[in-house]
Amino acid sequence: MKSCPDYRMTRRTMLGATGATLFGLQLRELLAYADTASQTKAEHVILFWNGGGMTHLDTWDPKPGRPTQGEFNPIDTSVPGIQISEIFPQLAQQMHHCALVRSIAGTQGDHGRGTYNVQTSYQMTPNLIHPGFGSVVVHEKDKMSELPSFVSISGRAPRASYLGQTCEAYFVGAPGEKDPYLAFPEGITQVRGNSRLEVLERFNQRYSQKNPGESNVATKTAIGDAVKLMRSPALSAFELDKVPTTMLNRYGDNTFGRGVMLAKQLVETGVRFVQVNRGGFDTHSANFPAMQAHGDVMDPALASLVEDLAESGLLKKTLIVMLSEFGRTPMINEDAGRDHWANVFSCFIAGGGITGGTVIGSSDEDGYEPKDRPVQVADLHATFCQTLGIDPAKEVMTPLRRPMKLVDNGTPIAELFA
Amino acid sequence: MAKLVRRNFNWLRLSSSCLLPFVVLQAMWITSEYSLVKAAEKKSGKSSSSDVLKAATNELSADHVSGGSIDEVLNQENVTRGVKTAPLPLVSDLAFIRRLSVDLIGRIPTTAEIEEFESWPEAERRTMLVDQLMSDDRFVDRWTTFYADLLRLRSNAEGGAAAIAYIHRSLADEVPYDELCRQLISKNGKAGAVPEVGFILGDGADPMAMAGVTSQVFLGIRVACAQCHDHPFDVWKREDFYGLAAFFGKTRRVENQFTNTIYTTEAGDTLVLWPPEGVGKPEERKPMEPRFPFAMLPEDHPSVVRLNARRKALAAEKAALLAQQSAEVDTDDVLDDLLADADKKVEQQTRKEGIDESLEEARTEVRKIGRTGGRNTTSEWRTELAEEITSPRNRYFSRCFVNRVWNELIGRGFVNPLDDFNQNNPPSHPQSLDYLADEFVANGYDLKTLVRMIVTSDIYQRGHTDIAEESVRNELEESFLALPHRRMNSEALYDSIVIAGHLFGVKHEAGKNMKTVWTETRVPKQPGGLNSPLLAGGDGKSMKREMAAADSEEPLPGYSLESAVELDFDALLEENPEDLVAADDEGEGVKVEQMRAMSKEEIEAERMRMQAQQNSFSYIERFVRQRIDDNPSFISSFRMASPADSEHFLRVFGQPERIQLGETRDHAPSMRQALMLLNGRLSHEAARVGELEPIFEYLVGPRKNIEKAVELAYVEVLTRKPTSQEVEEGVEIVNTADNSLNGVADLRWVLLNCNEFRFVP
Repeated sequence: MKSCPDYRMTRRTMLGATGATLFGLQLRELLAYADTASQTKAEHVILFWNGGGMTHLDTWDPKPGRPTQGEFNPIDTSVPGIQISEIFPQLAQQMHHCALVRSIAGTQGDHGRGTYNVQTSYQMTPNLIHPGFGSVVVHEKDKMSELPSFVSISGRAPRASYLGQTCEAYFVGAPGEKDPYLAFPEGITQVRGNSRLEVLERFNQRYSQKNPGESNVATKTAIGDAVKLMRSPALSAFELDKVPTTMLNRYGDNTFGRGVMLAKQLVETGVRFVQVNRGGFDTHSANFPAMQAHGDVMDPALASLVEDLAESGLLKKTLIVMLSEFGRTPMINEDAGRDHWANVFSCFIAGGGITGGTVIGSSDEDGYEPKDRPVQVADLHATFCQTLGIDPAKEVMTPLRRPMKLVDNGTPIAELFA
Repeated sequence: MAKLVRRNFNWLRLSSSCLLPFVVLQAMWITSEYSLVKAAEKKSGKSSSSDVLKAATNELSADHVSGGSIDEVLNQENVTRGVKTAPLPLVSDLAFIRRLSVDLIGRIPTTAEIEEFESWPEAERRTMLVDQLMSDDRFVDRWTTFYADLLRLRSNAEGGAAAIAYIHRSLADEVPYDELCRQLISKNGKAGAVPEVGFILGDGADPMAMAGVTSQVFLGIRVACAQCHDHPFDVWKREDFYGLAAFFGKTRRVENQFTNTIYTTEAGDTLVLWPPEGVGKPEERKPMEPRFPFAMLPEDHPSVVRLNARRKALAAEKAALLAQQSAEVDTDDVLDDLLADADKKVEQQTRKEGIDESLEEARTEVRKIGRTGGRNTTSEWRTELAEEITSPRNRYFSRCFVNRVWNELIGRGFVNPLDDFNQNNPPSHPQSLDYLADEFVANGYDLKTLVRMIVTSDIYQRGHTDIAEESVRNELEESFLALPHRRMNSEALYDSIVIAGHLFGVKHEAGKNMKTVWTETRVPKQPGGLNSPLLAGGDGKSMKREMAAADSEEPLPGYSLESAVELDFDALLEENPEDLVAADDEGEGVKVEQMRAMSKEEIEAERMRMQAQQNSFSYIERFVRQRIDDNPSFISSFRMASPADSEHFLRVFGQPERIQLGETRDHAPSMRQALMLLNGRLSHEAARVGELEPIFEYLVGPRKNIEKAVELAYVEVLTRKPTSQEVEEGVEIVNTADNSLNGVADLRWVLLNCNEFRFVP
């Protein structure tokens, strides 16, 4: 019920908020906003989606010396005073580019609901689907290249829903693998395929002359866009065969490493939003060997990505976020596993103009509840929006002509823009 | 014309005598001459100005028009609207058979069907075709999809697949629409076993959600906004919403974690309290009384009278039949026969398996209990709601459905959006809408009668305008003098490509298309290491093709987006006697299940046991070289699990996700659609020529005749003969290819991809 906006209330609260700002009550925030507004905004997002609920204690929020610590030790990072789990030794050296939020106060301990909430900022409701963050970004930001604006690698992204079909993700099953729909079918040569397209254009032109109307024009545009994409040199950004072996080995020659490599290439070619999916974090049993294995794969890839983007200067314009639907229980269960835990969990952020070497909030000493500065899921979304210069309170219409905000009422985390 | 004048005069007299305290601005959206009785008023005894408005909304047009046809009523309305333009002429026979086939059976006609149609007497062939297509099995398949969209049934939701199968069977059995809706609204029971509950389980049987769903889906009234506040631009108050939700207040969705079953049942108390949470003090919140807020027609409305007469006649007929039979046999046997009849397919199957008669009798008995229900299999409050919603006196119900069917066939509703009937959104042709709605009611809510009325009208048979000027085109289309262009819906498009390409069966000779493919399979290996399935997507080159391998039903990996699992409607409705025993038991509902439920500890132990089992398996990925005969065939998309996967052909072409309320099919073209048809496997295979299809003999051997091949390609794909220029052009395309088979494939690929193919003529 919370997500249903009350018309009168909305208007009243909006008025109230405006008034407050005018009278200088939020002066600090106003100044902070003016500051960030003058900065260059982020243009791209790489979202790492860790499906299953990644443990916060064995990654970003270690609890050394506590019964909930588990098998990993914390290590120092390039930022004095910030420690992370030993499963990320290389990434630790890039911490000055990165920020951690350690006090996300989640509400949903179920995979479906948690995923929905973290990916959309809204709570699941029975008969309305809210768009995922990727769709929000491509809805608000213009297309930069011939490539699709929103690409999802190794898994599905949430639906665009009422933002429309153009905001859906383009789906890449396995990084580096050719999409069969981007080339003529097997056995059709380029010459033959191209002459087919020419004839098709002639046929459609004749039909359009006899049958004027928008739908014909739009179909023509769709075919035009498709052919443009098929022929685009930018398509090589989807290929990984030309990546030097040394480079690939640095990221890790595995599905995730290649996915990160691909994400980097896509962003460099002008793709707005890349979501890289990875599963296997639902560690109800044997949590520690599983997380060590995850670390072995994730650490080199993430560290190399941050390092390379920082070096090329693209990191400032690229927001990197790693999210999961919730954290895991501080107490270790009988199977040496950890179960679902939404009360507090962490997220990793880098680039996009945020202040590196920052830690926002904290959990209590055992990692059960937020201690300082609790952050709501919607606050995270509002923060991401701010890096991109998107107004999180902007309203769009649902099929029922009900106005919905891009983000469910979050406030940006000002400390990240200090 | 004389008739029209008389009617108008009639209307003027009536409306001027009707002194209602408000004015409806839209000239043609006329207030009522009937004195209306509001269901809610009877109960609450209150009446407010908003009630009067609601009453008016329910009575859109002045006249009950009976007799005549939809053509006459609509023409008269256009005259009154001041439309002077002449309608477009009716389309040709060939365009008609293509249009009607797509609309009624969800695919374009075959050459054989076209020839048969053309062999019929010219004056009768169109009505003969309507009859033929309506009795086709595919009519049921195609319209099941229409209902599944309307009701937002999802085959992957709780009880969703069974619900779709139930709709399919109900359509095959010609169950009236009102009866079908009553079952969906009122039934309780186990997901799957009682297929009707799939409808309310789709929204988790949540009272608030169901209030919005039932009003919008069945009545076309959007009260969902009124959940949190009085409707911003309509008359609905928050209290109306809560009164509606209250009908679902006692219904509970129950989940048995261990047996993994889900069911709905009735509890003693209601979840819906008034005033709403956060308004007033918590202790002041009282159980909300169910209250149906929508206005009703009087009992003596002609459509109601006609329906009652029809029902009486039908009942008499049935009684006479029973009496006649009971003279010959025992009445109990007749009843048993009737029940058995309702499930003849199951019966046939069990007979085949040689199960003896006594067991069959026992099953029928059990089924009877399950079907007719103990007291708890239906909800008392929801039964009341179902009666209100489907009452012939409730015009919203018939109007909403008729408007949808009209839109489905004509390409534009009288009211748009289809499910937004409100004062500020009057119908373009209120009398025509009400004419159809009343006929629908009077004919016993029969879908086929309604569809027949529409498709045999001149309106349905009109052409599209070629006038480019938008205002002129709009006027023609808004007045239904020309039909708007519409693309085939995704399922019809898919099936039309399949039928045009002869792909429902194989078309190549065995062994002619041998191919070597490398597929990857997962082989379980002994316990150990980090390669556990928990780490799917982990490291190692061998995991590279995981996604493709997981989906590969198809011989060729990478194209899984064009195939899907077929739903077996009959198997889905086959009953497990245990389900039904559990659902009865002296009104105790599904108690048996609850008793079988395990404690939390037991569930946890079970989960851990399963997890351990899972952990003890891990897999290695192996590439396997295979020789396959690439000779594909495709199934009908109307039989696929639906909605399909989000990247699937059907979804890309607009099949809705069926979750959001108010979602309609998005027919906007997209780049994805273009890629799917330009480069997809379906269109490629459809274009390729097989030795077993008729066109082959015109391309190879003594009967070679490229002109005839081109002609046949046009008829098969576009349902028309090519012009002489088109023949010339086609022959050139075929002749410039390296061989005539490839040439025809090129031509057919173009025909399948062109706009003429996907737009309904």
